[in-house]
Amino acid sequence: MKTRKARRTVVTGIGVVAPNGTNTEAFWKRTHEGISVLDRVTREGCEQLPLRVAGEVRGFEAAELIEERFIVQTDRFTHFAMAAADIALDDARLGRADYEDSPFDIGVVTAAGSGGGEFGQRELQRLWGQGSTYVGPYQSIAWFYAASTGQISIRGGFKGPCAVVASDEAGGLDALAHAARSIRRGTEAVVVGAAEAPLAPYSVVCQLGYEDLSTRDDPARAYRPFTSDACGFVPAEGGAMLVVEEEQSARRRGARIRAEVAGHAATFTGAARWEESREGLAQAIIGALREADCAPDEIDVVFADALGVPAADSAEALAIADALGAHGRQVPVTAPKSGIGRAYCGAPVLDVAAAVLSMENALIPPTPNVFDVCHDLDVVTGQARPAELRTALVLSRGLMGSNAAMVLRRPTDIQV
Amino acid sequence: MTRRVGVTGVGVVAPGGIGAPAFWDLLANGRTATRGITLFDPAGFRSRIAAECDFDPAAHGLDADQVAKSDRYVQFAMVAAREALGDAGLDPEKVDPWRMGVSLGTAVGGTTRLEHDYVAVSGSGARWDVDHRPAGPHLERAFSPSSLASAVAEQVGAHGPVQTVSTGCTSGLDAIGYAFHSIEEGRVDVCIAGASDSPITPITVACFDAIKATSANNDDPEHASRPFDSRRDGFVMGEGGAVLVLEELEHARARGATVYCEIAGYATFGNAYHMTGLTPEGLEMAEAINRALDHARMDGSQIDYVNAHGSGTKQNDRHETAAVKRALGAHAYDVSMSSIKSMVGHSLGAIGAIEIAACVLALVHQTVPPTANYESPDPECDLDYVPRTARPLKLRSVLSVGSGFGGFQSAVALTRTGGRTP
Amino acid sequence: MTDRLTYTELAVLMKKGAGLTVDPRDMEKRPGSAFDEFGLDSLGLLGIVGVLENRHGRALPADADRCKTPQEFLDLVNTTLMTGA
Repeated sequence: MKTRKARRTVVTGIGVVAPNGTNTEAFWKRTHEGISVLDRVTREGCEQLPLRVAGEVRGFEAAELIEERFIVQTDRFTHFAMAAADIALDDARLGRADYEDSPFDIGVVTAAGSGGGEFGQRELQRLWGQGSTYVGPYQSIAWFYAASTGQISIRGGFKGPCAVVASDEAGGLDALAHAARSIRRGTEAVVVGAAEAPLAPYSVVCQLGYEDLSTRDDPARAYRPFTSDACGFVPAEGGAMLVVEEEQSARRRGARIRAEVAGHAATFTGAARWEESREGLAQAIIGALREADCAPDEIDVVFADALGVPAADSAEALAIADALGAHGRQVPVTAPKSGIGRAYCGAPVLDVAAAVLSMENALIPPTPNVFDVCHDLDVVTGQARPAELRTALVLSRGLMGSNAAMVLRRPTDIQV
Repeated sequence: MTRRVGVTGVGVVAPGGIGAPAFWDLLANGRTATRGITLFDPAGFRSRIAAECDFDPAAHGLDADQVAKSDRYVQFAMVAAREALGDAGLDPEKVDPWRMGVSLGTAVGGTTRLEHDYVAVSGSGARWDVDHRPAGPHLERAFSPSSLASAVAEQVGAHGPVQTVSTGCTSGLDAIGYAFHSIEEGRVDVCIAGASDSPITPITVACFDAIKATSANNDDPEHASRPFDSRRDGFVMGEGGAVLVLEELEHARARGATVYCEIAGYATFGNAYHMTGLTPEGLEMAEAINRALDHARMDGSQIDYVNAHGSGTKQNDRHETAAVKRALGAHAYDVSMSSIKSMVGHSLGAIGAIEIAACVLALVHQTVPPTANYESPDPECDLDYVPRTARPLKLRSVLSVGSGFGGFQSAVALTRTGGRTP
Repeated sequence: MTDRLTYTELAVLMKKGAGLTVDPRDMEKRPGSAFDEFGLDSLGLLGIVGVLENRHGRALPADADRCKTPQEFLDLVNTTLMTGA
């Protein structure tokens, strides 16, 4: 598919609710400053569990961002998604007047890694502690993976193609790609992204089954990808929602075009088979470059998956070299998520947000808590690095075996 | 040139019969597989009936490791995938693994194991601050819905895009729809597509009890699922899975495969109305039907059969009847329309794929499955619902539609090869 | 079992079950207004019915969750609880 796509997808709005900031500005400030917010787990009921460190979203006052009824009727993961969608829609200046007459032109896509775990645990407790008649009516719409897409669609009046992909972490990029394809087929805009809330006590118990979960108790040492001290990953809450639009349609309404979603590809190489993910990730990068019609040496920065497991980090370093050739050892690589943790499907969407902001600010954010890189990569550590950035590559892998890559372009380089 | 998408294999795990032949036998004879719940003791629940699968994973070829790692719904999908691959005569070793994808839907995922282990770690709901020690192995797989597509991808050796899709009760239609797009748009040549759910657990039964969406006709379970009938009182929960082998048409022909039919069109929209409520007019479902037909380059009058969502709730069946009339116009009154949920219940995310499997088999057998238990017409549901007895009919093109919590409205058009305007 | 359901208690149930802040005096002033106007959806009313059934240890009539207005709902609940007590 070398030919230029007729309908291109551009990012026009970014909404972030992350451990290091409950709005996009705060997120970017702490991200480029390289501040780590990883800290002890404080969510109620988690204190006795062996997971010590996580990226919690603190200071998130749901009531200030969404209507009171949603706080009772939906789970925390949906609160995050609804708040982030609002921020993104505001940022894009996309309001009801823009689509009142064409509601089928705007869709919603989210990725979900675990659904409404806190809500579900509360209702399970009612069922097993009190009896079946104590399960409330909102359980039927709050726990399942589709909750956030449904609520955002209803709240905004978006009747376009609505979708939910649940393909663990790489699903965040898959959701964006799904939105871009929807736009290619005729949808004008999509509210897309992922937010997660996996820190309810029972959800944490479930994650203890991941052998790559870090249970270290020192926040500065719990998640150190690409170092010889790598000991697994730290989970996080939050995520990001974006507004993506068909380029011409965005231009017509005078929207600010932030970046182009230029290419994506996804592959699968088996759960926890990190050595094999080398080929899978390389194939995904090659596929994304091909779709973006982008040469390897055009990539100016790589936002790495950075799992923090030696075999996985090594596979990723090799995959970057396999796919980008000699350029792979020179291109700056960063992983801001080492300062906030991995918010599952939300993680790569946060990276996409950070990549767009990096291109806009000509600044590559560093990889917090990482100083002693032991792979043949130019990892940006310590401080943000100024650089002219036209094209960014975002990588993601899931614990169940998915690999995905996405190419983003700065708008000045988008030919009209 | 447009890439066309053929169905070359079908696998089904459904209540009343494991395997596509047993499933079709049930449908063609209008038998119902609804009964009193046996998977747990339903005493004290409002709805105590369901359509359960009599399923032994070992008897269907899963090894001990596969069984230990996977939740019941994943086992359904693996057994259905195995059957579908065999049916397609597709040797995964002879397919480029990077050009083979997996797209599987589920609404509630690993809730069976999640609930089971929850009881252990919480002291039967006694504590919020759960104790992790009694948790069983592989619980993380139940937690992560992507384990569904992942397990099947490992089983078949796929290296292309592998995705779990979770759009509530349209998950099955949407998973097949996304797979259709992925072949049509050239990302893969083969896609293992379908859906699976095993929701007959206390928490899921209780959550539908709480909103009175399920039938409380506990004294007559065999006749409790009554789509479109005036006496319908809610859906009957089901479980199961169905998997199709979808293949780019030339790819299938090149290896001499039998192509049962083509997936010709797909569309989905949100109703932006209410998480569980449906508009009386059915505007958004009608839009999904129209766009799926446009995609298939077909006219509504070419549709010979509509496989309905037909859940058997008061609201759904009226909504759907209105939507089909809006989309197909006068032809709605001529078309045969039925709900197999009358026989196999409503298996949430799985049912869309099971219904598409039923459409494929209907095209193969040139027979429309009936709406069992349909006896007493509802004035607001005045279409031809194929009461109780299967109907032999010349079928070229059929439509499967669905609605899901969250407002999802989806439609898939299938046609015998050559059934659409070139 | 003689404690009648009041507008004040209904408002508390709406707050707790559905996250709605409703002034009970406002409901009392316009008791014929639909639940919709106070923000309560069908699921919310089902939840309130469930809470009352658990509290009183008995079922409310099958159409309790189809009441359209606060007044209709209070009348039905109170009639049932009084007569059956």
